[in-house]
Amino acid sequence: MSGGRDLWSAPLGEVPGDKVEVIWEVLQEVLDPEIPISLPELGLIYDVAYEEGVARIDLTFTATACPCMDFIREDITDRLLSEHWIDRVELVEVWDPPWTSDRITMEGREKLKKMGVSA
Amino acid sequence: MTDALDVSTLNDDQRDALVRLMVTLADSKRLMGIRYSDWTLGAPSIETGVSMASMTQDEWGHARLLYAMLKTLDIDPAPFEYERSGDRFASLSALDNEPSDWAAVVALMVLADGALSTMLRSFAQGTLEQARRRVPKMLAEEQYHMSMGFAWYRRLADSGGESRRLLAVATEDMLPGLVAWVGADDAAARNMVAIGVLDSAEDRLALYRDEVREVVALVGVDIDTVLGTSVWDEVRGRAVGRPDEEACERARGDRNRALLVE
Repeated sequence: MSGGRDLWSAPLGEVPGDKVEVIWEVLQEVLDPEIPISLPELGLIYDVAYEEGVARIDLTFTATACPCMDFIREDITDRLLSEHWIDRVELVEVWDPPWTSDRITMEGREKLKKMGVSA
Repeated sequence: MTDALDVSTLNDDQRDALVRLMVTLADSKRLMGIRYSDWTLGAPSIETGVSMASMTQDEWGHARLLYAMLKTLDIDPAPFEYERSGDRFASLSALDNEPSDWAAVVALMVLADGALSTMLRSFAQGTLEQARRRVPKMLAEEQYHMSMGFAWYRRLADSGGESRRLLAVATEDMLPGLVAWVGADDAAARNMVAIGVLDSAEDRLALYRDEVREVVALVGVDIDTVLGTSVWDEVRGRAVGRPDEEACERARGDRNRALLVE
């Protein structure tokens, strides 16, 4: 189990209205295993979709041989499947546009700054 | 940008040629990673060794993405990755043997990794959608390999003496196979040009020569007079020869075969 799970909260009790928005919120709880900021803050999530119980996540990685790929896939899948309204998680690996540190959000940059990391 | 290639319309020759291109790129990346990894603890400084480790990681990441491109053609990459004998590897001839010294590693970084990047740039600008989407990330990572390679090449060349001599020997040894590979103009290569997957052989070779002309001149080599090797294997799309057996075993992951989880 990776450090990407440190902020996980309990699943929602009810089915949300805007499921895509809630999936984005849930993904904010999934941290990069090496840097404690979330995957959306790190700019790794490119798109989110939901249809009939299937959550589709378009994601990239910081490097083509990122050693944390499997941890990240597992953390996303496990966190989303803990929601009773998600039956299946479809992860789509994308490399276009290529990830660069420019994709880190302002919130992510602030958190990194507090840890003494510049981005 | 031109329209994306519909791979379902390819004839058998075009399809075989595309497989050959993907496999030669992927094999070369995997072998390059092995050659780099051997110098992680043998580089001239700890910092350089760390760079070699990072570059090894990049090369194997690129290899994984390139083998996976075979799925575009409904081909299972596993037999290519794990089951071929060494005489079927299509990696660059410059990677056939372990570099004998640091100068040869530096020549690999600039000349062989550079040749791969020249081909990948062409591939990324071609008609294959998967290449357009995946290769730019590889090229972004390769920028750092080139920066390091060029800095070391200049450093060794400028230092003169034995360093410069060894660099010249490695350069002269590698270039004929690399020039033949980048400028390949056999039937399969022409097929790739015809369907827009690659630029013409002349254009690719001109780009490669532009890339390395200045640095190889530092060791007395005129890239414009280097001829490609004539001992060419059309099936694999590389110069005749093969990587050493130990490298092939490592590339296939023979030692960990029982633990394979993919």
